[in-house]
Amino acid sequence: MTIPVAKVLSALLADPAAERYGLDLMKLTGLPSGTLYPVLHRLQAAGWLLADWEEVDPAAAGRPARRYYRLTAEGVGAARQALAELRALSPDPRPRRGGAEPTGAPAW
Amino acid sequence: MVTRRLAERLLRTAARRWPAEVRDELSREWHAELHVLAERGERLRMLRFAGSLAVGRARVPLVARSGLDGPFRRTVATLLLAPPAGVAIILVAAVLMNLVYNQLLATVSWANAVQLPVLTGVTAGLAVLLARVVRRGAARTARTGPARNALGVVFPIGVTAVLVEYTLNETTEKLTRVAPGLVLWLAGLTLSLYGAGLLAGRGRVRAAWLVGVLGALVAADLAVVLTVVNLISGGPETVIDGVAQGDTVDRVSAPLWLFTSWTDWSFGLPRPTKREIFLITDLVELQPFLYLACTPYALAYAIRAARPAAPEPIAPPAPVPSGA
Repeated sequence: MTIPVAKVLSALLADPAAERYGLDLMKLTGLPSGTLYPVLHRLQAAGWLLADWEEVDPAAAGRPARRYYRLTAEGVGAARQALAELRALSPDPRPRRGGAEPTGAPAW
Repeated sequence: MVTRRLAERLLRTAARRWPAEVRDELSREWHAELHVLAERGERLRMLRFAGSLAVGRARVPLVARSGLDGPFRRTVATLLLAPPAGVAIILVAAVLMNLVYNQLLATVSWANAVQLPVLTGVTAGLAVLLARVVRRGAARTARTGPARNALGVVFPIGVTAVLVEYTLNETTEKLTRVAPGLVLWLAGLTLSLYGAGLLAGRGRVRAAWLVGVLGALVAADLAVVLTVVNLISGGPETVIDGVAQGDTVDRVSAPLWLFTSWTDWSFGLPRPTKREIFLITDLVELQPFLYLACTPYALAYAIRAARPAAPEPIAPPAPVPSGA
């Protein structure tokens, strides 16, 4: 697992029930869009992540519907296990720059 | 407005780098996010958002890569290991031949006559076993098309044949003598494998085997004929002090020479004579057995690897995403 994947999983696990938009996840993880969206695509393909369109009337809201992401039940369990294994392998627990930390304290 | 148009253009560029089936949804999603940034007046972030997507690494090849590496490695391993295995088969057959010969030598007068048939029989049997192993491996190799399959099979065989000839003789002299026949066999085998692969790719497996076996036999026979014709005179025999030296081979029996090399026999026909059989087998030596050891697996690989594509199974979700 790469650091960007771990960052995204860590951010999503901070509140597994929350719906996260792309810009939210960029802010939480510190990842640029060019890195974030491929990660989201992979996590969806793996069945860990669910993407849904916001239920909003674009005309009434004055903006297009956004797409939000949340972990699936399988993704929550698998992400926790993967991050735990990653932490176990990491000898250096120093915090790193760039938002949610895969090696930091668990958020669950 | 200029910033937004520029960002939208970058998003269109970014979308083109994704697979067609997800392009529209991603484009819609990114434009919605861009709209949010535009409403907030965050022009620089708009450009960074779109620019990063436009220059980010495309993800498509990574999806295919994990499925390609394994088959590719298996293909290379199979095609590189099979020719030495063919040579090992000949060595094992030669050892067995000597064991049988030594057992028979003290008890029967026809011990000499069984040498080549035993060598041929053991080589053929082990070659079929090798072909079965390679055939199983070929089912999980990369699909590259009949032409590449044929060349991929034949090239390592050619290299192995050259190395073996050189190693056995420790000079290039014998290699130079048998080279035209070897090249002809490799070219004929390539064509046979290509034809068999084409037929197998259309689901005509029996026809593929028929074409492959016949083509390979013709190629091997022609290779032996070429070597003999190049290096042994067709007559008249050299006469020294009134004594014919028996150093010629009549061309009339040429089509039989490959089979004679395998069996040490003229099949009840007047030609080739015993003297001619000795000259032929003494000249071609290893070549017919190399053809025999390698051809079954070469055909098995070319036909199995050219199989029609099976429907793609629905893959379960990957357990751990491998990263960005």
